[in-house]
Amino acid sequence: MNKFEKYVLDILDDPVSLGAVVVGMIIILGMVIFASSYWFYFRLMFLNLRRNIIRTALTSVASIVLVFVVTLVWTILWFLNLVTSEKAKDFKAIVTERWQIPSQMPYAYEASLAEGSPANEGDYKIDKNKDAMTWQFYGATIDPEKKTRDNIIFFFCMEPMKMTKMMDGMEEYSATQIADLEKLCDEMVKDKRKIIVGKERLEAINKKIGERIKLTSLNFKGIDLEVEIIGSFPEGRYNQSAILNRDYLNDSMDAYNRQNPNSRHPMTNKSLNLVWIRVPDKEVFQKVENQITSSASFTTPAVKVETASSGISTFLDAYRDLLWGLRFILAPFILATMALIIAVAISISVRERRKEIAVMKVLGFTPAQVLFLVLGEAIMIGAFSGLFSSFGTTMFINNVVGGIKFPIAFFPVFLIPLDAIWWGPAIGIGTALAGSFLPSLSACRVKVSEVFARIS
Amino acid sequence: MDLYSTLAVSLISVVLLTILLALVGKVPINYSIRNLIVRWPISLMTALAFTMVIGVLIVMLAFVNGMYKLTESSGHPENVIILSDGATDEIFSNLGYRDVSEVEFNPGVVRDASGKPLASWETYVIVNQPIPIHVRKGERKRRFVQVRGILDPEISGKVHHIALKSGSWFSTGDTGGGVREVMLTEAEKEPRKINATEAVLGQGIAKEIGPDYNKPILEVGDVFNMGDKYWVVAGIMDSGGSTFDSEIWAKWKTVAERFGKETYTTLVISTTNQQTASATAIDLVKNFKKAALQAIVETEYYDKLNNTNKQFLIAILFVAAVVAIGGVFGIMNTMFAAISQRSKDIGVLRIIGFAPWQILVSFFLEAIILSFFGGILGCIVGSFADGFTASSIMSSGAGGGKNILLRLTVDMKLIFSGILFAVAMGMVGGLLPAFSAMRIKPLDSLR
Repeated sequence: MNKFEKYVLDILDDPVSLGAVVVGMIIILGMVIFASSYWFYFRLMFLNLRRNIIRTALTSVASIVLVFVVTLVWTILWFLNLVTSEKAKDFKAIVTERWQIPSQMPYAYEASLAEGSPANEGDYKIDKNKDAMTWQFYGATIDPEKKTRDNIIFFFCMEPMKMTKMMDGMEEYSATQIADLEKLCDEMVKDKRKIIVGKERLEAINKKIGERIKLTSLNFKGIDLEVEIIGSFPEGRYNQSAILNRDYLNDSMDAYNRQNPNSRHPMTNKSLNLVWIRVPDKEVFQKVENQITSSASFTTPAVKVETASSGISTFLDAYRDLLWGLRFILAPFILATMALIIAVAISISVRERRKEIAVMKVLGFTPAQVLFLVLGEAIMIGAFSGLFSSFGTTMFINNVVGGIKFPIAFFPVFLIPLDAIWWGPAIGIGTALAGSFLPSLSACRVKVSEVFARIS
Repeated sequence: MDLYSTLAVSLISVVLLTILLALVGKVPINYSIRNLIVRWPISLMTALAFTMVIGVLIVMLAFVNGMYKLTESSGHPENVIILSDGATDEIFSNLGYRDVSEVEFNPGVVRDASGKPLASWETYVIVNQPIPIHVRKGERKRRFVQVRGILDPEISGKVHHIALKSGSWFSTGDTGGGVREVMLTEAEKEPRKINATEAVLGQGIAKEIGPDYNKPILEVGDVFNMGDKYWVVAGIMDSGGSTFDSEIWAKWKTVAERFGKETYTTLVISTTNQQTASATAIDLVKNFKKAALQAIVETEYYDKLNNTNKQFLIAILFVAAVVAIGGVFGIMNTMFAAISQRSKDIGVLRIIGFAPWQILVSFFLEAIILSFFGGILGCIVGSFADGFTASSIMSSGAGGGKNILLRLTVDMKLIFSGILFAVAMGMVGGLLPAFSAMRIKPLDSLR
């Protein structure tokens, strides 16, 4: 399935997107019908806008830059809303230590947790080869003498083949990119010393694909590893991440404990950080949650099971006021500013054309027609500027900049969704209507006698 | 002089020069002002656009200002914070008591009246606490609570300059210390006596947990649940304006046992002054051989946690700059319209003897006046944010970090910056139309 087919299917699955597309198509159809049936009015609006090119251009540019900011802000909010919304089917759950973060569980928990801890007949058993993934965090520096942020790498230690099947965000990559990643994972399975590092992290540590590096661990003291960088993630969410085959870490821990039988490594019973499981629906989730939390095998430490969306919500809690500010202060104020700028432009335009409007009324134009002419001009500016801005922003930010780089929790980059393309015209039309309503009302109320009396 | 001061001085110089030119050169200022008044609806709408841009800017900067103030007041220059080598944050640090106990005997460490070294032994953990259903919002079902196990609360209070607002420190005795018998009253249950762990809370976290128990804030004597254990509020810290405002302090042994972290994460020592602190930190890193550790002057440690602030500040400045471009085009629109409507007036002014530069100054001043008043109004609107509290995170960007409650702070520097920003927008937006007004030919305009 290519990216476009996937996008179409996503739209068909989501009632809000589907509704927006239908409404958008109705508006476009309406505009086409209006333009063809009322070509005269359409042309009149266009000519009016063309008459003062500077004003039209200034208003358009102002709208374009403001839609640009709103698109960026809404992208962040849209994405965070998406990842924290509870899904009804085929969703992921996270098993972690119950009371504290960072979660640190004995690796011995892995075998049972990855299967959902089925103990009795009738219990749900997760297919651990397909629907489970473990994460162990390994932090290391490549310069033990001078540890700085730039020479530190944090690894997700996992089964490489689970990466494309279970990790979040893989849907952002194309089929070719996924196939390339799978080849790299295959190599990691064959040689556990091979690693994948995100582009930005690779740049920060000043290393290239193909280089071998020695890692001095920060959290697994004494477990230092030699690795070879074999590839990188495609641009996006994993720019700062790195993947290591979990077998390499666990085998090294075992080797350490064999060499030091009297002082086992302090992380021996704390090396498992997260277990991801995929469940088909809420009912199964509750069943698995009950199986795990009621099991006597997971008491020291106790564990908890939560949906991925709930887990992410907890991490985002620290940002709740910041996100509230983006949602309810910044975005509305920008929209209001945009409406004001359009209102100023349309007011000036109406004020300059009072005589012309009076003449139009004498020629037989009704107040409603005048009102729609003025509203139409504003909508034309708003819709075209909005469409231009949202389309340009999406293409520029995603393809040139590589996403919005505003790290929040564990999301370093936000890619603008294709849905954003309709946000622009929607914002443009909405603010144009709000901003031009009063000026167009004043235009349709122009009194012919008063205007001509003033001239005479 | 830093970049901010240079920009501010240049901007003020241009405004003063314009005003001076207007006064000395007999520029028709009254004409400009009267025009703004006569065309009040459009002037008002343009000024309102400035008000909105500046208002939002002030609120956003008040947030960053609050974060900086919080980090400033959390660290003390005479304190040295000691973490295990390689730990990017307190949460990842592991200090064995036997390995680092000799640190407190370093000659740089100050002692209190009883001769005890001012060294605060601490274990910092983050507890995942379920939120009761009645206070849940959206998908958020848990919160992270920062708990600090403290060996000697009075010494730690002195080291961190924290006094109690109410109540007392928790007891620390080996038998029965840190625990108190309290009467527990729960809905639909008979009141019963239980043993609860004594805890001292920052005001921020007391406010955060209060609603769980249908109270605006937890008070001394209140009982709450955390980590499957009952805790009783022994005291409330007067920690406003520091990161400790969002923390719970309890007896070290209880925290270590309950949350399975039986080493210390942090040792903070007090020295006489900043110079001694720097020297002690260097000495410990170079010469302490028993364990690998990192010793940093506390203010430097909190400065490193400023990465989040810097990230927010850059984002805010970017948004402000882009929104300002929109505002600039708004004022350009108004000024161009003003010129096209008043081209005959300009012609008359030129004929009665006003020079082109006087016309330029007049229109330029008009744009500045409009943006100045819009900016002042924006500052007034933004000032209402002062004093509001907001949650955020403070991190060095290398993992970890602290959840904090900060106070939005609007100070004079911010107000001044807001006005300057508005005036700068007005100047950029007004300059081009003012030039076009200057170039109008009197006879053409009157034709």
